[in-house]
Amino acid sequence: MDDLLRLLKDGHARTIPMLAKELHTSTADVSRKIEYLVNMGLIRKVDFGPKKCGSCGGGCSSENGQKTCKSCMPEGGFQNMGQMWEVVG
Amino acid sequence: MSATIALLGQPNSGKSTVFNALTGLKQHVGNWPGKTVEKKEGSFVRDGKEYAVADLPGSYSLTANSDEEVITCEYIASGKADVVCILADSSQLERSLYMMADYAGIKVPSFLVLNMADVAADQGKKIDTKVLEEKLGIPVISLSATDNKKYDAFFEAMNRAISNKSMINIAGLEAELQKVDAYAKIRALLPEEGVKSYSPTWLGVKAIENDKLVMEQLKSVLSVAEEKQVEEIRCTSKGALDTGNSKFAWIDELLDGALSEQKEKIGVSKLDKIYLSPFWGKPAVVLTILLGLIGSFIPALPLMGVGSAIDMLKAPVGSALASAGVSDVLIALICNVVIQSFSYIFKMLGFVFGVLLVFGLLEEVGVMARISYVFDNTMAKLGLQGKSVMPFLISFGCTMGGAAGTRVIDNYGQKVLTIALAWAVPCGAAWAVIPMLSSLFFGPGAVAVVVAILLTMIVHMWITAKIFGRKLVKKEDRYGMIMELPPYHKPKWGALFRYVLGRTKDTFFRVSKVVLLVCVLFWALSYSFTPGVDPILCKIGKVIEPVTKIFGLNWQLFMAFVASSVGKEGALGVISALFTDGSVYGAFNDAMSGAATAENLNDILLANVSKPQALAFIFAITFNMPCVVALASTYQEIASAKWTAKIALYYTLGALVLAMIAYHIGLLIW
Ligand SMILES: Nc1nc2c(ncn2[C@@H]2O[C@H](COP(=O)(O)OP(=O)(O)OP(=O)(O)O)[C@@H](O)[C@H]2O)c(=O)[nH]1
Repeated sequence: MDDLLRLLKDGHARTIPMLAKELHTSTADVSRKIEYLVNMGLIRKVDFGPKKCGSCGGGCSSENGQKTCKSCMPEGGFQNMGQMWEVVG
Repeated sequence: MSATIALLGQPNSGKSTVFNALTGLKQHVGNWPGKTVEKKEGSFVRDGKEYAVADLPGSYSLTANSDEEVITCEYIASGKADVVCILADSSQLERSLYMMADYAGIKVPSFLVLNMADVAADQGKKIDTKVLEEKLGIPVISLSATDNKKYDAFFEAMNRAISNKSMINIAGLEAELQKVDAYAKIRALLPEEGVKSYSPTWLGVKAIENDKLVMEQLKSVLSVAEEKQVEEIRCTSKGALDTGNSKFAWIDELLDGALSEQKEKIGVSKLDKIYLSPFWGKPAVVLTILLGLIGSFIPALPLMGVGSAIDMLKAPVGSALASAGVSDVLIALICNVVIQSFSYIFKMLGFVFGVLLVFGLLEEVGVMARISYVFDNTMAKLGLQGKSVMPFLISFGCTMGGAAGTRVIDNYGQKVLTIALAWAVPCGAAWAVIPMLSSLFFGPGAVAVVVAILLTMIVHMWITAKIFGRKLVKKEDRYGMIMELPPYHKPKWGALFRYVLGRTKDTFFRVSKVVLLVCVLFWALSYSFTPGVDPILCKIGKVIEPVTKIFGLNWQLFMAFVASSVGKEGALGVISALFTDGSVYGAFNDAMSGAATAENLNDILLANVSKPQALAFIFAITFNMPCVVALASTYQEIASAKWTAKIALYYTLGALVLAMIAYHIGLLIW
């Protein structure tokens, strides 16, 4: 897992299959380690969701306490950006 | 009550499903004492015996990080459960056995349920529970929890675990852990009998992971000196990284010989072979964006058509009003300001609509994710990350949306820098004005102008990143990203159109206000209410013209540049108001007196503006600050008047410098 974390810190973007190849392991192994690192608070998942809208000029509505921003982003936020994780600084 | 069963598993492992299948209606839902976490208890009767069931809160592990985890640990340690049913997901055993590995070493009887057997079977995975049972020393079964009829094996395993008091054989885990120096040292300090239901192995692991609850409990069995020693040893280890490695290695060992699956082939689609290739990736992505921008003209056409149609209303409305005896000023206001403005607004909206649709579509099908992936390294050179690409691309539609898109960036410096750079991306309004003006002045050469603007944009962003980045982003902030790219898929047209139409509608209302305001203001300032007297704007303009000429802008163009700070879409309106006729005063009077049709903005511009001037103007408004609304949302997003002002000033001056450069290059060409 140290290898994985080291790769993450080098400033390059990689996909999970690429990481698996570089670390000579399977994608399932990389995925579970990413999940582990997230839970240990060492890396963080990037949230592209519609929450936390505080900045679009108008067009924002508060629905059941959660601010959504229909006009800045598609419904449910950008859902097709894949998943991204970053190292917690 | 003959026995109590606790269900333990990660979220979505199927605990609730099993709980419901076991207890049916005999359940009680409440809260764990003092916590907001839901507590579910129930009971069932089997072979004449009554059993109690507790559904423990789902959590990733047993490290005391969250309320859920603390509750689970305390419940198990309390000895209330006679047997713990550990659930794992058969379809992803490598990861879901983690809970079992984290539980190993707790001295409460347990059995392992590999749920989602149907899903695993569909994936072609074969799991030999007998092999696992032998290695683990506890009953192991496969289960499809959703299939109510198949619980016999569950009850059999449960009874076996209770009567044999079966505990997980942790020899394999211990062997893996012993490879970690710090663990071996700490383990040697711990009492062989452990604490309560916890074995020294389990306590040793949690001590390395710096589990607060465990450290507290160790106080009762360790001397102060020993405790300090544990602390010191822990600091020499890599903490959770070390224990995690051991646990995963043990899981792999367990699965070796127990799990057979088809070799995964890391399939790469044809498109990804191009996008993700180190060599072709960038050109392919740039081409995609260019084609996207060009392609966005097609959906833009209908609205642009509406804009032109509105423009044609000017003459008939003008003469109708004239024959109705409406005053000249009012006619000029209605025709040259209101109708003209709406004509621009619709033409611009066309482009906003087009860009949003095309980029929204790229996002929907999964191409956008590839774009940010490919650009991540480039972004890193600017001090940013791949996810900054998103705000940039949204900015092609609207800078405001781009500013809002920076919400995914937590690092303040990177966020400010991203917004500062997003300003350099020509927004939908600019894209409405640039092609129109360029094709008017340069004919087919317009393509070259657009390319020049895109290249300038890149250089601009580069320089801006260097200037602003030094203060905003430190080298340590630059980390790598992992991106799991989504599979390509068909777009959801309904959601996409709702978003695009909603955004276009918003833009319409916002922009209409700005455009009308700017146009009325400039028209009023430039309209000569008393024939023969220069209007105010004309007077001011002529005074400052010597200065503005340096930038290649005559005073009318300069005024339009100023207006473009309010909204780029307003710039054209201002030009038309100021240029209505070579000589300003009397222009509107001419305009309404039937000569209106000849007052074609195109002809006027061609007659009054030289090519180098036009080039200077195009660059000036393109790289000027996007608009007042973008300014406001930037302030809202970064909450710093200082940085907002800095960015705004930088862009205003930068635009003038670029205009000057463009003008002089223009002079060399023409
Ligand atoms: N195909 C299949 N689906 C299952 C099976 N067991 C559970 N599920 C589904 O998996 C989903 C999650 O199950 P839950 O029982 O809610 O999982 P949980 O562990 O209680 O999750 P939390 O409440 O988040 O802790 C539900 O949609 C279930 O219908 C199974 O054996 N096969």
